[in-house]
Amino acid sequence: MPAVRADKLYKIFGRRPTRAVELLADGRHRDEITSLNVTAAVIDVSFEVEPGEIFVVMGLSGSGKSTLIRMLNGLLPHTSGSVEIEGTDITKLGKSELRKLRSEKVSMVFQHFALFPHRSVLDNAAYGLEVRGVARDERDAKAREALAMVGLDGWEHKVPGQLSGGMQQRVGLARALAADTDIILMDEAFSALDPLIRRDMQTQLLELQASLGKTIIFITHDLNEAMRLGHRICVLRDGRVAQIGTAEEILNDPANDYVANFVEDVDRTRVLTASSVMEAPIPVVDPGQGPRAALRTMRDNQTPSAFVVRRDRTLVGAVNENAIGEAVRDNVKALDGLVDSLERVTPDTPVAEMFAQAAESSYPLAVVDDEERLVGVIPRGTLLAALATPNGDDNETGEEPSRGEVGESGTTDDTAGTAEQPHEDAAQSQPDPGGDAQATEGSRQ
Amino acid sequence: MSPVSYAVPVPRIPVGESFDSAINWLRINFEVVFDFIGMVIQICVDNLFSLLAETSATQFTLAAAGVVGVGLLARKRYAPTLIAVAIWAGFYVAELSAGLAASVIASLPAPLFVWAMNLFGSSYVYPPLVLALLLFAALVALSFIVTRDRGQQIIAAASAASLLAVLALHFIVGVQLSLIVGALLAVLAYFIAGWGVALFSVLGFLLIISMESWSNAMSSLALILVATLVAVAVSVPIGVLAAQSRKVSTVIKPVLDFMQTLPAFVYLLPAIAFFSIGTVPGVIATVIFSMPPGVRLTELGIRQVDKELVEAGEAFGAPDFQILRRIQIPLALATIMAGINQIIMLSLSMVVIAGMVGAGGLGNDVYTGIAQGDVPVGFEGGIAVVILAIFLDRLTGAVTRFSPAARAQRASA
Repeated sequence: MPAVRADKLYKIFGRRPTRAVELLADGRHRDEITSLNVTAAVIDVSFEVEPGEIFVVMGLSGSGKSTLIRMLNGLLPHTSGSVEIEGTDITKLGKSELRKLRSEKVSMVFQHFALFPHRSVLDNAAYGLEVRGVARDERDAKAREALAMVGLDGWEHKVPGQLSGGMQQRVGLARALAADTDIILMDEAFSALDPLIRRDMQTQLLELQASLGKTIIFITHDLNEAMRLGHRICVLRDGRVAQIGTAEEILNDPANDYVANFVEDVDRTRVLTASSVMEAPIPVVDPGQGPRAALRTMRDNQTPSAFVVRRDRTLVGAVNENAIGEAVRDNVKALDGLVDSLERVTPDTPVAEMFAQAAESSYPLAVVDDEERLVGVIPRGTLLAALATPNGDDNETGEEPSRGEVGESGTTDDTAGTAEQPHEDAAQSQPDPGGDAQATEGSRQ
Repeated sequence: MSPVSYAVPVPRIPVGESFDSAINWLRINFEVVFDFIGMVIQICVDNLFSLLAETSATQFTLAAAGVVGVGLLARKRYAPTLIAVAIWAGFYVAELSAGLAASVIASLPAPLFVWAMNLFGSSYVYPPLVLALLLFAALVALSFIVTRDRGQQIIAAASAASLLAVLALHFIVGVQLSLIVGALLAVLAYFIAGWGVALFSVLGFLLIISMESWSNAMSSLALILVATLVAVAVSVPIGVLAAQSRKVSTVIKPVLDFMQTLPAFVYLLPAIAFFSIGTVPGVIATVIFSMPPGVRLTELGIRQVDKELVEAGEAFGAPDFQILRRIQIPLALATIMAGINQIIMLSLSMVVIAGMVGAGGLGNDVYTGIAQGDVPVGFEGGIAVVILAIFLDRLTGAVTRFSPAARAQRASA
């Protein structure tokens, strides 16, 4: 059962909403029905949000996203359609049932924080529980816990006015967390914060979501934010859904020109992660094998280096052709002492954060999971290829590399060369010693 | 043929007459209601006046008990405090109705009380005073037993000391009541509004006493306080309603304009018709005249509360009344207090008009001054009104400081 489900949802402000819904359902644009003197804020919006998902609704101002989010918890009545929260159709609920649902299942974080200036930080955080009628001791304990989660322990007895904007929004987040609802609605929650704080908050939100598994519906007008946070993104345009999909789907396969225009300026390096650009780690050798066997493996694969991986896939390091060659000549029996360490990244690391590491090592980057198991590798050429826009002039070269599928090294290089907007970091990483480039290319099949 | 006349015949609409007959109809049919309202107001004003101008030892004791009790309540010791007050109230009512307390007290070994009463020139035990003293003693004891709070203990000790001092000064030494009450009001001003206002109060009250207007001033103060209480009790709820609903707001607005602009003398007419001459029509006229800013500022204050905050309350599932009580009213309190302040100021300006219908007090002085050309009496009355006005204004202005919103604002500044 989806946590939240919206089905053919409409919100029309004005006197003749029914007629407007009929016209809009026929596919008319909202500007065509201005004669009815109505404002269509949300038109035919349907989506499902799975439990534990971060679902981002993205659109410019006036696209109806704030109206939409307020219909999801019944703050605004709907005109037509239905909203289901954990299977209950909230459009059919009475006023007090709706209040109960809000206090128990759906909490909200606001753009301008909406903290109560006359209450202490602790009382603000405990508000949801207070409304629910939880006893003082218990709600204070839970509020303290929530404040600690957002890193605000020790600030309980301040008032919101004494806190910076970022801290105030942490209180707003703590208030939603303390209410202990499964679903949290966030209405442009980070838009009023300055960029650095906003990044911190995004990171924190991702961490909290990973540990608590809340279902989060996040509204934003900032595409980079949407791409960073959202498991799936719903792009709204003039009240209608333009596209719903993962960040990569939207980036690589925009449904129409509007979305394409929208994503044009996105910093792809922040959206694409290691897991989406990495390649299969080939070749691998076991640490128990001798230099001779390792050299054969490299020859067979025609690569200048190989990854040393234990049976359980945990990564030890890498060996290169020159060192192994010498060892074979000197008749060394074991690989010990020949293995170089590798730069490691996790599958979630954005491409943007990998350039510096890629520049430091002559080996490809190793992508390892939480248990240090090797899941993939990223040669430098692949990293650059990821920067290419998929629907640039040259479609053939555009699509493949960013998918992380192993392509011909020649093709990849081409793409990297013709990348329309090389990222600054990428430009810096290019002037490297020539030998490295050879190693990189070589590690591709 | 007579010359053509261009005069358009305009029929006379009997506005005044219908008003008059409406009043008569109301008076005849709702006499009981008006009598009841009048009686309540009269009792309130009389009691307040006696408290301010003819304070008895019992009243002093109860006032001291009030200070200690409020301190206890502010420190959240609800149960013991309320139990003590309830026991006192029970005895007091029983005493009033059946003389029960007197018999209970009489059955106790009484020489102690009798000795105390002798000090005040009474030859018998006056039960309400004993009850009040017992209540006070209980509250002081509670302050030392149930709280470890230094502040509360200091309050209790200080009230006990000042009660003893006041009783001794007035009932034994024989200092005038006016000086003592004036000093107590100045102390109140010191705690609420600071030493500047306290100093002003001391000087101002001394001036009033020296002009021999103290009793009249207290009479006016009693009238103003009762009128303010009624006006606040009526206007704040109306203001809240008007803030919640656009319809109420549009209906209320012209009514308020009407009330504010209709010359005060005009609504003295029905007031006299309903309540005859005296304090009551004065209070009623004052209430009507002073209410509008209370309504307007309450509405404004609540409407000014950030919409997102109200929405936050709704988003967490708070019922409307709870949003009103815990979010809107606390945040609008500064504006509402400004409205109450305006109510008091307007009430003061009605004092003279109330004096004309026989409400007595300073208004009577001024009215006599005008009617008889007695400049000194009129001017002294006017000065006393000004002193009262400044005192009340500064006091109500300072009360806002204690609202949670203001406290939070100071903390964040």
